[in-house]
Amino acid sequence: MEYVRNEEQEMLKTMARDFLAKECPKTYVRAMMSDKTGVTPDFWKKVVEVGWPGLVLPEQYGGTGMNFRDLAILFEEMGRAVMPGPFFSTVALGALPILSAGTEEQKKEFLPKIANGEIVMTMAVTELEGDYWPGGVKMAAYERGGDYILSGSKYFVPDAAAADYIIVAARTANSVDLEYGITLFIVKKDDWGIYIDPIKTMDETRKQYRLDLNRIAVPVKNILGEVNDGWPIIKEAMMKGSALLCAENVGGGEWVLETSVEYARTRIQFGQPIGTFQAVKHKLADVYTAVEYSRAIMEWAVEMVKDSDPIAPLAVSMAKAYCGDNYKLITNHGIQVHGGIGFTWDHDMHLYFKRSRSNDTVFGDAKHHRELIANIYD
Amino acid sequence: MTTGQSDKEALFRKEVRDWLKANLPEGWGTPKFKWPEPYTREMQTLGEEWQKKTYDAGYTGFGYPKEYGGVERPDWEIRIIREEFVRCGTPPGPYSQGPIMAGMTILHWGQEWQKKRFLPKLLSGEESWCQGFSEPDAGSDLANVKTYAVRDGDDWVVNGQKVWTSNWPFAHFGLLVVKTDLNAPRHRNLSYFIFDTSSPGFTRRPLKEMTGETAFGEMFFDNMRIPHKNLLGELGRGWYVALTGLNAERTVGVGTRITSRRGRGGADNLIDLAKRTTRYGKSIWDDPVYRQKIVQIAIEGEAQRAWGARITEMRNKKKPVDLNVSSASKNFVSESGQRAADVTQELLGAYSQVMRGSPMAVDGGDLVHTILRSRGFTIEEGTSEINRNIIAEKILGLPRDKRGE
Repeated sequence: MEYVRNEEQEMLKTMARDFLAKECPKTYVRAMMSDKTGVTPDFWKKVVEVGWPGLVLPEQYGGTGMNFRDLAILFEEMGRAVMPGPFFSTVALGALPILSAGTEEQKKEFLPKIANGEIVMTMAVTELEGDYWPGGVKMAAYERGGDYILSGSKYFVPDAAAADYIIVAARTANSVDLEYGITLFIVKKDDWGIYIDPIKTMDETRKQYRLDLNRIAVPVKNILGEVNDGWPIIKEAMMKGSALLCAENVGGGEWVLETSVEYARTRIQFGQPIGTFQAVKHKLADVYTAVEYSRAIMEWAVEMVKDSDPIAPLAVSMAKAYCGDNYKLITNHGIQVHGGIGFTWDHDMHLYFKRSRSNDTVFGDAKHHRELIANIYD
Repeated sequence: MTTGQSDKEALFRKEVRDWLKANLPEGWGTPKFKWPEPYTREMQTLGEEWQKKTYDAGYTGFGYPKEYGGVERPDWEIRIIREEFVRCGTPPGPYSQGPIMAGMTILHWGQEWQKKRFLPKLLSGEESWCQGFSEPDAGSDLANVKTYAVRDGDDWVVNGQKVWTSNWPFAHFGLLVVKTDLNAPRHRNLSYFIFDTSSPGFTRRPLKEMTGETAFGEMFFDNMRIPHKNLLGELGRGWYVALTGLNAERTVGVGTRITSRRGRGGADNLIDLAKRTTRYGKSIWDDPVYRQKIVQIAIEGEAQRAWGARITEMRNKKKPVDLNVSSASKNFVSESGQRAADVTQELLGAYSQVMRGSPMAVDGGDLVHTILRSRGFTIEEGTSEINRNIIAEKILGLPRDKRGE
């Protein structure tokens, strides 16, 4: 594995930063915060033009065949820009699970359309309790005449309004082993009987919804993976998604550090820059250290995923807990160093604060991941 | 646990492991091993012999050219050697104050005769070193030293006192920062010398710490003479020479010594301890609060390992690395080490009171010792506060405050 980015990766990073500076300025981010779907067709078209949705998809499915580390580099820059919209959902919760668990027909049907921007996808796992474990999947699906009938509600479904297809987890068998009996269904969102309702969440750059399914029928060909064996697919998607969120956290953390240092150098109180005072300096030194160490553990986790190393689940849980805790600390300090202006709606600091909170929650918070690690050590 | 390694690496790792197995002292790593009392001649001998063995095998002496007794190896081999040595918790050599501080400083600033005379025996463990930096009135404010030297013919005559000297009873040579110009401005009035601890006028005595040990000593200079040729670097530039050693100490110390007990290795011990400890009728490892705290220590250990590997890789690839990052890792490791010690205390419960020497002490009392010892982590080699200033001013470019110029 390598921590240091190679030349192509440096170019990718520069390109991504330039693209987002131009296409995703804070004016766009803020406009999307009050938008229903969190994305404009024009923005999505440009994202497709630079080839991002198909970045890690093989060429035979319309992608460019780059690797997971490359994808994480994009996510760093997206985190830095607090980019809104369904990119994360489409790639991490749609394209990657289909690529690793889908049938050849499913891959041919969905992946090229993801790569060319025709469709947006997401996944619905969590229910009323808002947790990320197999026991949380209670919604039942039963077989009837060659189809599966799904009824029930899903909560905290990201980007459901923008999505064309939603991969829905439902219980098809009851078992003592909770991981057994979960099946994934690829559901077309405009099917009759599907209702989505936006949840008013703190981080408006990442939309979440309640999803109600009322006796919708899914043909067997739209089952992702094997019947009753959907949990490992979900687990893998959450692992990869978590690694990408860690990259977002590091990218966002760097923005907070740079912005706060600049503020401390230029904000004058008591006749001198506030960055002269050790009380402020020491906070920023801690932010620096938190960003650097988060980067190291994130890059380790991302590389382990890229290499399909058996320790990837452990590495990602460690990174998810560590980067999550630290992004919260970083954004706390960022606001504190800014003082009053950092508490305003007009300053961008709160966008990062809120993203740090939503990223910590998604796929289980730091405490949940520490417990997963403890289970490995049992 | 591995971190994704090649066959070549695995093969070399096995070679190092086999060597360690064959060469570590009898009973090492088991309760059978009889530790000498810390800071005694026996302990020093254990370290010196170990240093000699590892040096002869080519497992130490990295970062030095061959002509001065250095050992040259590819970086990945060095990393594996360090990891394996750390894993075994090898005997403490006299080298923490040798190759790291003194060696790096002499290599960087020394005259040719000094490098040829001192470095080979320093690396082989034949001669050990100490350093005289801190004084009663010069701790964090290191530039405020009062010990001074006056020129007399070919010699300098030194008077004053140094404190917090490691390896104080056994060192053959020492490095010394003294004032050589009473009128020059701060940072321009100091010089750096090599001195011989058998010189007349030199005395040393123990400094007893809160652990009950005398890991550190005090040194007194009463008209002690140092030949002028022992000057290291230019006259009046001692402050800048001293900075080299401090940076080397913080960086190298982080990569080798400290990760051993305070890294994930530390967490592995805590997990083991928790699994065999029962309190209030249940295993501590089944208590979610303890699980959380112990796993957090493991995560911090991995973060440190990943950070170190990342910096090493950047250096290997000739990417620019700001040496001041050593302040960040020094703080991280020492503060994480204190958190680990706090968790240890909670895990041990009533037994966290039982000291070395008691038959009731858990694992010989080393863990309890660390609870006490860890309070020094954030003070030695530059306090956490000084390191935060360095990060903020040197790396982040924030303005200096009004502490003495």
